Amino acid sequence: MESLGYLMAGLGAALSFNNLLFAFAGCVLGTLIGVLPGLGPAAGTAILIPLTFNLDATGAIIMLCAIYYGAMYGGTITSVLINVPGEAASVVTCIDGYQMAKQGRAGSALAIAAIGSFVGGIVATILLVVVAAPLASLALKFGPAEFFALMVAGLCLVVGLAGRNILAALLMTALGLLLSLIGMDPVRGAPRFTFGVEELYDGIGFVPVVMGLFGVGELLLAAEARQTHLIQADLKKWYPTRDEWRRSSGAIGRGTVIGFVLGLIPGVGAIVPTFMAYVLEKRVSKNPERFGKGAIEGVASAETANNAYANGSMVPLLALGVPSSPTIAVLMGAFIVNGLTPGPFLFQEKPELVWTVIASFFVGNVLLLILNLPLVGLWARLLKIPFAYLCTGVLIFCIIGAYGLKQSLFDVWVMLGFGVLGYVLRKLDFPIAPAILALILGPMMEKSLRTTLEISGGSFAIFLDRPLALALLAVPLIVLAAIVVRPRAFANLRQTDIE
Amino acid sequence: MSRNARRGWLVATATMMAICVFAIWQSLLLSLTDRLGPGPGFFSFWLSLLGVLFAGLLILDVWRKPVIENDETLFPRGESAFRVLIIIGAVAGATLLMGWVGFELAMLVFIAVLTFALGERRWYAIGLFAIAGSFGVYYVFTRWLDVLLPPGPWAA
Amino acid sequence: MLRRRTLIAAAGATALATPAFAQNFPRKAVQMIVAFPAGGNTDIGARILASIAEKDLGQPITVVNKGGAGGQIGFTEGARARPDGYTVTFINLPSVSTIVLDPERKAAFKMDSFVPVVNQVLDPGVVWVKADSPYKTFGDLLDAARKAPGKISACTTGILSDDHLAILMIDDAAKVDFRIVHFEGSAQQLTGVMGGHVDCAFDNVGGIVKRVKSGELRALVVTDDVRSKFLPDVPTTKELGFPSVISSSTRGIAVPKGTPADAIKVLETAFLKAINNPEHIKKMDEQGLALKPMVGAEYAKYYADSHAAATKYTEWALKQR
Repeated sequence: MESLGYLMAGLGAALSFNNLLFAFAGCVLGTLIGVLPGLGPAAGTAILIPLTFNLDATGAIIMLCAIYYGAMYGGTITSVLINVPGEAASVVTCIDGYQMAKQGRAGSALAIAAIGSFVGGIVATILLVVVAAPLASLALKFGPAEFFALMVAGLCLVVGLAGRNILAALLMTALGLLLSLIGMDPVRGAPRFTFGVEELYDGIGFVPVVMGLFGVGELLLAAEARQTHLIQADLKKWYPTRDEWRRSSGAIGRGTVIGFVLGLIPGVGAIVPTFMAYVLEKRVSKNPERFGKGAIEGVASAETANNAYANGSMVPLLALGVPSSPTIAVLMGAFIVNGLTPGPFLFQEKPELVWTVIASFFVGNVLLLILNLPLVGLWARLLKIPFAYLCTGVLIFCIIGAYGLKQSLFDVWVMLGFGVLGYVLRKLDFPIAPAILALILGPMMEKSLRTTLEISGGSFAIFLDRPLALALLAVPLIVLAAIVVRPRAFANLRQTDIE
Repeated sequence: MSRNARRGWLVATATMMAICVFAIWQSLLLSLTDRLGPGPGFFSFWLSLLGVLFAGLLILDVWRKPVIENDETLFPRGESAFRVLIIIGAVAGATLLMGWVGFELAMLVFIAVLTFALGERRWYAIGLFAIAGSFGVYYVFTRWLDVLLPPGPWAA
Repeated sequence: MLRRRTLIAAAGATALATPAFAQNFPRKAVQMIVAFPAGGNTDIGARILASIAEKDLGQPITVVNKGGAGGQIGFTEGARARPDGYTVTFINLPSVSTIVLDPERKAAFKMDSFVPVVNQVLDPGVVWVKADSPYKTFGDLLDAARKAPGKISACTTGILSDDHLAILMIDDAAKVDFRIVHFEGSAQQLTGVMGGHVDCAFDNVGGIVKRVKSGELRALVVTDDVRSKFLPDVPTTKELGFPSVISSSTRGIAVPKGTPADAIKVLETAFLKAINNPEHIKKMDEQGLALKPMVGAEYAKYYADSHAAATKYTEWALKQR
């Protein structure tokens, strides 16, 4: 109960004028970073760290955290408007979000994303307050073996639900996994499938691939259709209809849980909870065929899970001092530089500081909502710019995005190549989503399997010793096999398609 | 599916199968096992094998599907094709140019060419947009945002 | 891009050779390539240095992270940069050496592709376990390893990292056989050991000082010949009878081969001044990063010696494949 006292005090401090200003500045900067190409959240946050040297510790940390989830939301904006994911986790939002935009419902999509993110963030923060310490240590039990199993489970889920053409989805998954293997292998550090091209040593960049497949591919399709504007439909109202609200509420609830729980596990990455929430939503939906064609629940679940994850991943950071992703690692670096050492003793050592920071999570989420909701209408209107300009603009955007990460023109070529590929595949109606998920999960899967075997000394029997891993591994595989072998029993699932 | 779509699927799937076969070959060049079990080529070998299997099954599946005879073409002709190709060409050209003369000049040409090709005819509009999109964007990104873009030859 | 660079470099080289050079360099921002991701141990030290050195240099220093492939990506880029003094690379030893020595890595650079300028940090290796681990001393750990060869697991921050080499050195000197697990970075080591999946970790002092102080971890030994001022209660390998096991991660500034001596001199002076700056010392102390400034012949010798030392154990590591 004394935590509550601290929290109240923290809230008071967080609402001080200075700290509010920092939180606000962070949200704005973060959203900008998420929207603008070439600046991933990690790099953007890192650039801003020196700024915080001159601020007091609390203010600095508040600002950096605000930047972090501001950036998450910024990524959503581009996903919905131009089908270009601002960062990895926004890929799922593209699927339905962009379709909604094409129907003139960009406003609703962005609004529900903002609201879903808000709910997800607040609930996750509340859970953080309540259960941080005990849950965190529990999450540590999740070792490389469980990790591997989780990745496999994630992949199976997506493939199993790419209804219409499971074979094509399986093929795309295999290809996606193969693509992800390009680069240095985790076994010997030797380059694999690189054919002497240095730029491939670190693997094929995820961002250029996705920008190409989704962004450029979409533009090519629109150009072919000789659209005068990117969005031909009329702009509807910017807020969701009552019907959309109703559909989204369940999605938001489920997304929050998935996002938060997976956030507790260090290193999972934002994309797994977003995909899982989306797939789960489709599974429980009465009309799964709407997914992929502008189902608002799709956007709601993905966005909520995303933000719940972002806030949930603060748990391993604060409680254990373990960063879940490169961006959080940057945050942690900033924490340390400013005198906050994340770890189990953090709450004992500097409770006022920690609780102020936690209180600022609440404040930050609220600010984000206040900041972004009114702008939603404005963003939506951007889509009405004539195609000649919008297309060129988006291409500049993508070129900068592909180049900016590693200052590599090679990545721009990759983007173009996958753009053409994406165009062709979309024309043929091949499912692209499984390949994307495979591309991200591939390296993690291989590395965690490798590490698992290193720990067990080469024996696969380690899986038998670890029930959680075994369950995570076996259940989806069995379900997947069942779907492939007896498709008729799952006919209703097959009606739909994740594009 | 329509005849053209069917053809498209068969070609695409065959290409994917070819990629997988190539990957099998490459994986065999890397070792499949090592001291601890799977070697660097292990996963790629089995994955590409699976890929060949799936591709083969898919080709069979598509082959056996009834063909709907219609005129539905897969790829565009005429102006649509032009628009698609000009975008691809412009991006390719811009990327090549960027390596030589830097971001600003490359983008200047890129924007001018593309906006014109996509229908804009007002020279002043194209000009303004081109300058803002090349020099303006360059300035904003390199000065304010610290994102390094390919510099021109004068920037040493 | 390469052709253009060579032409301009050729033209520029003549200009650079003039005696008035020192006043003309640097005329614009200097880029510092850090071969590891933002926020990590290496990166924090680099950014602290950059932020202070820019004042002495008179021009901004832009830190660019080119992480990946255990540093290979960043080092390759740094080695290939135009040798005009405007691109410096933050190099890690022995990482540069091990990458060069591993034939499968097909490194595009060699040891002499770099000219070492100034060294900043010498971060000694440390072996740690979690606070409630049964191993109270390093001796306990070694005993357990002897009793169960190949069963006690030790983790590193990467294949062929200084941690990896340190484990091999211990295996050799103490006649034990650790089961080696490679993670990527210290964050994963934390989860691995704290979660009970791995028995101990070989890491560097800088990353864990705060956690040792807070009681989360127990440091068993420091692989150096003098005690770390940040961990004064932790014995050294020398004290415990393994004087040959000296391992550390050294980080400093280097420039590509062919950079004019004048430019190197200017950089050396500026960075050395920054390293000795009290503010820099204070910030690095807070991070638990031990400074060891080295310049000129001393650093060059260290560069060569470090490579020689790494060679033996790298070859051993490669044989184990």
